Amino acid sequence: MSEQVRIIEKKKVPPGATLLFGFPDVGLVGVIAASHLIEELGLTEVAYVDSELLPALIVLHEGLPHSSIRIFADHNILLAVSEMPIPTDVIYPIMNALIEWGKSKNAKMMISLSGIPIQDRQDAKELKTFAAASSPEALKLAQDKGIEVLTEGYMVGPQAVVLQRAAQSGPPALTLLSQCFFNYPDPEAAAEVLKELGKITGLKVDVAKLLEKGEEIRVRARDVMKRTQQEMSKMKKGQEYDIPMYVS
Amino acid sequence: MSIKRKRSISDIIDAYFEDLERWAEQFEETLMVSPSWNLKNCTIEPLRETMVTPTEVVVTVDLPYTEKKTVQVKPVGRTSLEISAKMKRKIRLDDLGVTHCKGEFQKLHCHMRIPVPVNMNKMDIHYKRGILEIHIPRKR
Repeated sequence: MSEQVRIIEKKKVPPGATLLFGFPDVGLVGVIAASHLIEELGLTEVAYVDSELLPALIVLHEGLPHSSIRIFADHNILLAVSEMPIPTDVIYPIMNALIEWGKSKNAKMMISLSGIPIQDRQDAKELKTFAAASSPEALKLAQDKGIEVLTEGYMVGPQAVVLQRAAQSGPPALTLLSQCFFNYPDPEAAAEVLKELGKITGLKVDVAKLLEKGEEIRVRARDVMKRTQQEMSKMKKGQEYDIPMYVS
Repeated sequence: MSIKRKRSISDIIDAYFEDLERWAEQFEETLMVSPSWNLKNCTIEPLRETMVTPTEVVVTVDLPYTEKKTVQVKPVGRTSLEISAKMKRKIRLDDLGVTHCKGEFQKLHCHMRIPVPVNMNKMDIHYKRGILEIHIPRKR
C-alpha cells in the first residue's frame, strides 16, 4: 500500500466481503446510493483514509472530526464512500490504496456504484442500468442477472481505476452505471443502481424511502454537486459522451 | 469604407459594467467562495446549466421542492434571465445540517447570463419533475 495513503482501521474488518465504492460523480449516483445503504442497512464505520494528498478538510459529525473518505461495513459488505469529490490528481494513489487494502481483506469482489449521463433525462420514463467488468466472468455474472453490458465507450474517474487494477491483478470488479443527469443530483438513478446491486449481491435494500426523500436530497446535495462538477471538468468527465473509436 | 458610430459615454459605462458582471460571475463560479444561499432574501441558489446549439440556447435549472405554477422566468435586458420558484415548504438551515446560524428559505432564485444574442420574446418554457427547461432561439 502506498505510504502516502494510509487506511486506518477503527474496528475489526470482516474478511471475504464485497467491497463497494460510492464516490461523488455524475448525478451523485454513487454517493446518494451509498448514503442510503448506510442508513438502510445500519452500516458502521470500520476504517477511514488518512492522506496528506487530500485537501486539508475534515467532515464534522456531531462535533467530531471524520475523514472525508470512510469505509463502512456489515451484511458481508465493505462500503467505501466519500463525502467530497476526490481531487483528480490524487485519484490513482487513493484508489490504488483502497484496492490494495480490499485485497488484504480478501474482498471477493469490488463493485463501483455510478451513473451514466443521458440527454433529456427528465423525459426518461425508465432508467436503464449498464455494467462493465474487469473480466469476462464478472461480466457474465451481470449479464446472467439481466443487466445490460456497456459494450463500448470511455470511463473516467475512480471506477475506471478499479476496473483497470482489477483486470490486472483481481479481485474481479464490476461497475454499475444507471442512466442519470450529468450535473444534477439524481436520487432516482441511485435507487435504480441499488436495485441492480441487489441482484448481484443478494442484498435486499428498500429504496422507497430514498425515492420519497428525493426532492429533499436534491436540495441538500446542491453544493456537493457543484464541487463535483468542478472536479469532473478537471478530469475531463465529458469524455464519457464521446463516440468511441475502437482500435482492434 | 464603413463608418463607425461613436459610442456614447453611457454605452461605454454599460459595456464596462457588463464586462465586470461577467467577470464576477466567472470568478464566483471558479472559486465558489460565497454560500449558495442568501439569508437576507430567504433564497437558495439552484443548480443550472446553459447549452448553446447552432439554433438556440437551452437553459436548464434544477428546481426541487417546487411546483410549476410558482416558477417565474423574467428576461433582464437582452443578456440575462432571472429565475425563481417558491418551494412547497419553508426549509430551515438546520434542516440542511447547518447549525451555526439560523435562517429559513422559501424560494429558489438565480440570475443567468445568456452567452450569445437571443430572441428573448420567443422563449419556450417547459417544466417537468422539478427540472425547468428554457429554449431561446438565437438571433441570426
